[in-house]
Amino acid sequence: MQNDLLTELGRSLLTSSLDDERLMTQTGGPAAVQILPEANVIKIGGQSIIDRGRAAVFPLMDEIVENLGRHKMIIGTGAGTRARHAYSVGLDLGLPTGVLSVLGTFVSMQNARMLNYLLAKHGIPFIEPAQFAQLPHYLAERGAVIFFGMPPYVYWHGNPAVGRIPPNRTDTGCYLVSEVLGARSMIFVKDEKGLYTADPKKDRNAKFIPTITIAELEQLDLHDVVVERSVLELMRNATHRRSIQVINGLDRGNLTRALNGEHVGTIISAD
Amino acid sequence: MSAQSSLLIDVMTNQENTQLTDSPKTNDGRHHVQSLLMRESLLDKDVQKSTETPVFRMLPEAHVIKIGGRSVMDAGRAIVYPVVEALAGCLKTKKLIIGTGGGARSRHVFSIGIDLGLPTGVLAQLALADSLGNAHILGTLLAPYGVVAIPPEIFGHLLPLFITSAPGVIFNGDPPYSLWEHPPALGRIPPHRSDAGSFLLAECFGCKSLTLVKDVDGLCDRDPKIHAEASLIREIDTAELRQRNLESLPFDRVLLDLLDNARLLRSFQIVNGRHPDRIAGALEGKHVGTIVYANPKSRT
Repeated sequence: MQNDLLTELGRSLLTSSLDDERLMTQTGGPAAVQILPEANVIKIGGQSIIDRGRAAVFPLMDEIVENLGRHKMIIGTGAGTRARHAYSVGLDLGLPTGVLSVLGTFVSMQNARMLNYLLAKHGIPFIEPAQFAQLPHYLAERGAVIFFGMPPYVYWHGNPAVGRIPPNRTDTGCYLVSEVLGARSMIFVKDEKGLYTADPKKDRNAKFIPTITIAELEQLDLHDVVVERSVLELMRNATHRRSIQVINGLDRGNLTRALNGEHVGTIISAD
Repeated sequence: MSAQSSLLIDVMTNQENTQLTDSPKTNDGRHHVQSLLMRESLLDKDVQKSTETPVFRMLPEAHVIKIGGRSVMDAGRAIVYPVVEALAGCLKTKKLIIGTGGGARSRHVFSIGIDLGLPTGVLAQLALADSLGNAHILGTLLAPYGVVAIPPEIFGHLLPLFITSAPGVIFNGDPPYSLWEHPPALGRIPPHRSDAGSFLLAECFGCKSLTLVKDVDGLCDRDPKIHAEASLIREIDTAELRQRNLESLPFDRVLLDLLDNARLLRSFQIVNGRHPDRIAGALEGKHVGTIVYANPKSRT
């Protein structure tokens, strides 16, 4: 390898440790490109939306179809109650977090397949991680694709600090897609208006929070939050996707408004 | 633990009385499957605490060894052949899961990718090819012993089968994070590389040990390649390591966090592949390099 073919950074990378912090600060490089700046990543909740069946899913699918041609949509699916069942069985049997991650992947894949069949007549494909290279083509041709929300960490899923449920689940997988592709927005479709000071399903006094920064959220140290905590941690280091919106997908029109850039739920931002 | 066990038993008993296909009727419009975590927010801190159960070990007799990319594989025949011979010796009595690093080619593709403005997830996806290449190089040299590189798509699922049928297997040490790699705090290099992938695999499968084979005697207080007077740290835990805030480490920095969250693998050893006899020593549990321990307070 001719050294003059390499940039100065290239030479440093070849000769130094990738765990040298001084070198790492030099690897920010020129501005990162936004791979799909027009695309919106939408996560459809498992327990919150898909487990409700037709009553919640059909109106949401109609809304997605209405937005074809207006907005590009990369649609990820949550897992929900069957994952909770699988995790319960797995935890009782002492299965490691990596295996629980495999089980969660299967459930979010089922949900992705179901949505795929509901949207099939519009030519919208379901893609697995190995098919992400075709995503730009499908998005250009059909305006939307479906993927399963679980990040493909499987047996390599890191343990959480507390408990043993995989910490990087479908919220995280969808968020990371929005960050790596430099997407226009990250919208989490759930069954609550957004973030509350407590779980509104259990606490009547829970107060709605329309906007919040990660720093403020950390200070509040809420007992329960509406998106996976790892999304908040990852957003801190994000280059592109520095904010997310959580919306109530049970109210018709919210998704469209969020796609149009309106504030209809809770916006959580890194800055 | 006892309160939790009785909760689990309650749930299991309930399950016997309830058809799983009968979604419990709830007034919240969601159709649930009866389970311990039914209707729970998995983000609730108490729910999370309740899920701490003892972990089953899938491959308790297998050892995971990570062979450095730049430090060993790129160093050529003079270093690689003796390491292969040492591994062949170990394979006579032990089951080995061998991961490889990407080395110089990964660093090159990182530098080009960064120059082109590609994000961390894309760099992670690109680097998979380099460690896989090294897995095949090592697999060729270990083929006479029945050890080959296994395609990543089937490696995890079939690992127990391979490891009982062959003396060892080789995989690309990188975890399959690819586009889903976490953006790092500093710069753009993927934080979960082949040391991390080998660690995560050893932890998930409950393996006996993790040995990182490099070209230094272990962890030093300074980079021994730059500072001749650097001194070796024989053993250290992550709490002290964080406190000392060393600028350079001979392993993926993310291992500090992974080690503290580990349930089964609470230490790993770094050994010098230029003294190949130390590989066998490490597998026998001898202290031949630097042993890094989890912070004892990280799990109580």
